[in-house]
Amino acid sequence: MQQISGNRSMRPFIVLAAVGLVFLAQGGSTLVSASLGYSILQQFATLGPIALSLGLTMIIRHFDLSVAGHATVGGCIAVTLGVASPIGGIAAAAIFGLLFGALQGVLIVWLRLGSIGVTLGGLLTLNGFAYVITGNQEISLQRMELAQFVDDPLFLLASPRFLLAAALVVLAGFIAARTRLWPQIQATGSDPQAAVVAGVPTGVITLVIFALSGLLSACAGALLSYSLAAASPTALSNILVPAAAAAIIGGVSLGGGRGHPVGIAGGVLVLCTLQSCLTAIGVKPFAQDIVTGAVLLAVGISDSVELKRRLHDLRRLLPGRTRPRPTSEL
Amino acid sequence: MSTLLLSRRLPVAADRMATAIRIAAIGCLVLFAVTTPGFLSAPAIRSFLTTMSFVGCVAVGMSFITIGGSLMSFSLGVGLSATTIVFVAALPLGLWPAAGLAILFSCLLNGVQGLVIGYLRANPIIVTMASFALITGIATQITAGRGIYAFGTETAAFKGNLGPVPLPLAVFLGVVVTGQAILGHTRIGRQIILTGSNPRSVLAAGIEPWRPITWSFVLAGFFTAFAAILMAARYGSGDLQHGIGMEYHAISAVLVGGTAIHGGSGSILRTFFGTLIIAVFQAVLVLRGFSTELQHLALGVLVLLVIILQRK
Repeated sequence: MQQISGNRSMRPFIVLAAVGLVFLAQGGSTLVSASLGYSILQQFATLGPIALSLGLTMIIRHFDLSVAGHATVGGCIAVTLGVASPIGGIAAAAIFGLLFGALQGVLIVWLRLGSIGVTLGGLLTLNGFAYVITGNQEISLQRMELAQFVDDPLFLLASPRFLLAAALVVLAGFIAARTRLWPQIQATGSDPQAAVVAGVPTGVITLVIFALSGLLSACAGALLSYSLAAASPTALSNILVPAAAAAIIGGVSLGGGRGHPVGIAGGVLVLCTLQSCLTAIGVKPFAQDIVTGAVLLAVGISDSVELKRRLHDLRRLLPGRTRPRPTSEL
Repeated sequence: MSTLLLSRRLPVAADRMATAIRIAAIGCLVLFAVTTPGFLSAPAIRSFLTTMSFVGCVAVGMSFITIGGSLMSFSLGVGLSATTIVFVAALPLGLWPAAGLAILFSCLLNGVQGLVIGYLRANPIIVTMASFALITGIATQITAGRGIYAFGTETAAFKGNLGPVPLPLAVFLGVVVTGQAILGHTRIGRQIILTGSNPRSVLAAGIEPWRPITWSFVLAGFFTAFAAILMAARYGSGDLQHGIGMEYHAISAVLVGGTAIHGGSGSILRTFFGTLIIAVFQAVLVLRGFSTELQHLALGVLVLLVIILQRK
């Protein structure tokens, strides 16, 4: 048991099994259907790339608060330009995300600023951009056929939107498994100074990850806005919580260096399954907030630095466990 | 030798330049404000000073968390909303007992998060984000997503003026003075600063770091409760909408004031000036006819620039 709970890559699957058991115990087996699977994949399409962005920055021991901002602006740009050319809309959103993400990376690397501060400023600035682009209201895209195209199942249950998101995750997984970049990313996250000594270009890697983070989040936002045929400056403001939850369920550590794109994808899948099942049972949306929060808190606590020591302290306080010292020794 | 001298001189030069930029920026802001038609009128000044006070109380609370090394709390805004609901729900008990309960609730709500972060050394970002989702969900379930309203005039005492000063401003000034006194002149305040600047030295000094960390969250809850009570009294309701985005406004004020994001340095007085600068900036933009959208953008760019200027 210790070995299983200690193995971080097993974590999403343990949580998934628990979710499945609870779901079946609640009489959910009658609800298992193609539409449930479709709903899970559709949620994956939005959350997957955003959680991957955040997870990658966490692996290099940073934290990109601006992922929600990138997704929002990406959606707003795509809707504004998508009327003329859908591909152009996504491309513009992607380029904007790439450039703004790279700008944040440059500030973090060259000026040696903390990523929390920079991406907090970035988040507020991006939200400002979204307000300016949309004129502080929900803007709609008058192309319903586009919404149908990105959401209609193309292959089994997979819509083009899911396929694109999955392709991005697989690409990241391939880079992780097959290239020399991945050990360098891990080294940057686990011990930046040792990585520099070992000849890893940590600055370049940080910059690339932040640019990639902007790109992935903006693409996810753009695709979501096509699917909804609308974008607004506040629609995605709360996505940071599930993204962080998915990343750390997926085995990413806030201490840096640990985690894997496949693990993050597993974390996203767990969270999407959880939320889709709750919706299928008929649980109201705010209960999903409670579940997401509880899961995030549980994983956060199980990751905490001094949990073992404190549990030991508490165990010592329990009266039954302590063996009374023999009187003869006194 | 020369490189040594150079490396010693450079930070001083950079410091001087940063100070010069700060003074120039504040000078520009004052100039803009004074030349803006209508800025110096009494109603305009009263209005922006009142609005500033709500964010200001939360920002003072946030300062303790930031200075104590826990970066920021993502749940301070939704905690404020929950506190407005508790305050309005408790009003039948009387005005002052309701205020007392609201303060106690807010202290406990944030203190528990501080305890988890300090005692277990859990990550503050994750814990406060999880709390954000939990509080949102639970509060929505209890109130069914609707605000609750205070009928009658029982909150009138918290709405008026204190002499010539709007009551929210008077409370905010009181909060700033109290906060600065706690941070600078009490044992727990100094322990909070020390924990933020170097947690290991705290251990070496024989202090359990979880105490100051927990206290920083309790104090954050304490000062946020004042904003919650004032807002509930002003709008006559307890509602989850009241605190939306407040944590971002608060951390902006803290950072613009010059408190370092990674903790260990800063003061409540700085947060006061940060709040004032943002309030003046926004008032000027409004009076000069800039749209709400451009105000959002300008505030974001301002925060980003301040963070860049904080470079050591």
